[in-house]
Amino acid sequence: MAKAMIKAKIYRYDPDKDKKPYYKDYKVDVDRNVTVYELLTQIHRDYDGTLAYRTFKCYKGMCTTCIVKLNGKVVKSCATMVEPNTKIIIEPAGGGKVIRDLVIDFNKM
Amino acid sequence: MDVSRFNTDVVVVGGGGAACRAAIAVAEKGLDCILVDKGRPGRSGATPCALWSIQAPFGPRGRDERDTPDQFFEDMVKAGRFIGDQNIVEIVAYTACERILDMERYGVHFKKYDDGRFFQTPMPGQTYPRSCFMIENGQHMSTVLAKEVSRHKNIKVFKDFFAFALLKNGKSVVGILGMDLINGEIVAINAKSTVMATGGYTSLWGFSDNPPTLTGDGVAMAYRAGADIVDLEFNQYYGTDVIWPPSVRGTVVLYELMIDEFADGEITDKFGKPIINKPLPVRDEAIKTIFNVIKEGRGTPHGGVYFDTTKSSKGEAAVREVFDTMTPKHYRFLIDAAGIDLAKTPLEVAPASHYQCGGIYINERGQSSVDGLYGGGECAGNFQGANRLAGSALCDTQTTGAQAGICAAADAKMRGTIPIDENNLKSNLDIIHKYLSKKEKTVRPVFIKEEILKTMDKYISPYREESGMRKGLSIIESLKNEVDKILVPDIKRYNLELMEAIEADLMTSTAEITFGSALFRKESRGHHNRIDYPETDDKNWRCHTIVSLKGEKPDYSKREAIYTRIKP
Repeated sequence: MAKAMIKAKIYRYDPDKDKKPYYKDYKVDVDRNVTVYELLTQIHRDYDGTLAYRTFKCYKGMCTTCIVKLNGKVVKSCATMVEPNTKIIIEPAGGGKVIRDLVIDFNKM
Repeated sequence: MDVSRFNTDVVVVGGGGAACRAAIAVAEKGLDCILVDKGRPGRSGATPCALWSIQAPFGPRGRDERDTPDQFFEDMVKAGRFIGDQNIVEIVAYTACERILDMERYGVHFKKYDDGRFFQTPMPGQTYPRSCFMIENGQHMSTVLAKEVSRHKNIKVFKDFFAFALLKNGKSVVGILGMDLINGEIVAINAKSTVMATGGYTSLWGFSDNPPTLTGDGVAMAYRAGADIVDLEFNQYYGTDVIWPPSVRGTVVLYELMIDEFADGEITDKFGKPIINKPLPVRDEAIKTIFNVIKEGRGTPHGGVYFDTTKSSKGEAAVREVFDTMTPKHYRFLIDAAGIDLAKTPLEVAPASHYQCGGIYINERGQSSVDGLYGGGECAGNFQGANRLAGSALCDTQTTGAQAGICAAADAKMRGTIPIDENNLKSNLDIIHKYLSKKEKTVRPVFIKEEILKTMDKYISPYREESGMRKGLSIIESLKNEVDKILVPDIKRYNLELMEAIEADLMTSTAEITFGSALFRKESRGHHNRIDYPETDDKNWRCHTIVSLKGEKPDYSKREAIYTRIKP
């Protein structure tokens, strides 16, 4: 199967180093629909080890540890599919201060 | 490197069911406690992944009045193939009901009959239906326990805190060393007692149904601190976890739901022929059957078997109702994350790494072999024996977790504070130093972790044999050298690569002694199946495998199992 691509614009912010948040673009090769969680795992592994996100998952879309904003809407990254050949924006979910990148210091957890 | 310091009576490591329950027990004794969690309590460990089933012998207060703690005890000892230590099984069997009533008091919702008795489901290996039913499953239980922890003023919770070494002064464990992931600070906690409740290390395997964070840090830390570790060869697989498609790989679908009372479906080979007979076998037997069908070439395209309810006598609507009632979140998740309707589509499933029956060797008080160190829940080792019953894992988090907390607190009162040995602290800091210092050839930790996972999947599957395991062990030994080449970016806040580096480091120890333990036991029993030693050998091997650190190397030996009530 010919490789397709997802263009992901991802929110990056390290309060220790960056004056303000910025966005970084990643072109990720995929050959099928992938979940946002899978996409982040692939970016961290193959494109940019410095990307921070929460890796915990419960395998049933219930724990909400992996929530992020996808195109402005809060989603569970493990249970939300992205199609190949699309452009997306991933940002932290809110609900607390940003520790770094997509990792939130959730107020209620 | 600056080190922040804290003092407390008892430090608890972990954030799942056992850790939370241990901390509550300490607080109820009026002592101060710090609970440190690699993630967030309530969303940490394996407890959130669990389903409804937590077993307790309620008898007349449950579904079948004939059930008793004696019967639970007997079922657990038999399922464990007579190598679970009965002094600890007693704690589980005889305090289970009390601990579940505690949970109910904290706010966990259990399904009840109209007259107030506990609704209970039958699971393989239970003489009478014994699995109490948590309406919102393990996630709900985790959230409620975390809330209960937060109600106690004398428990401080350090969230996003990665403990990576036990601190020792002479022969005693005197606390832990860890990293605050929020700001990158290194923190030493000096405690009178230390409770390890970090769960299993299921995610040492690539195909696992547990969170990727479950890398067995606690077992490795205890081993490195000189504690006896027991029965690591009995890593339990669960027979029917999704193997395809990848977005839902590792999600548990319960074969226990195939009975007439529920979905009345079948586990089949690729030709649609049922392979698991009813009444359903206990887990180790089910896995052997599934594994052999795959080995014989009767497996599905992606190397599994089918979980098929499409031919159920009950019809699609009734089957959907079963999934919607019993495992609603899993059912919904498969639709959202893979577009699969379990009531309509046969699903490819296979045995995946699920639970560690072994772990830190403890006694009936939860004490390890090292002064000051305690263990509870899955990271403790010698009570499941060679196999675990359905509904035992959650039950053990509460029974052995509470016990470890109670005894750690009682001993803390007697023991007093032994100060940190600064030389010991310094040498433990090396774990962090080495990944941040420049070097010529460098490796990224994610690839070392992948290599470990691949090696475990390949050489220590449900069936294993000498030459494969020797090969696997030599790969792990060579990966130890690779660990020294890790270089991670100098980032203070939530440095994921530094976390992976520490995990990879600890995982090499756990992987090494898992291979070693499985090589040591030259028989087949429970979840340990040696192709080269296919028979159970009660004469020589109805005993524990103990591994402990002697100098720089693991030392393996046998130890008698403890029988208090039932002799084999």
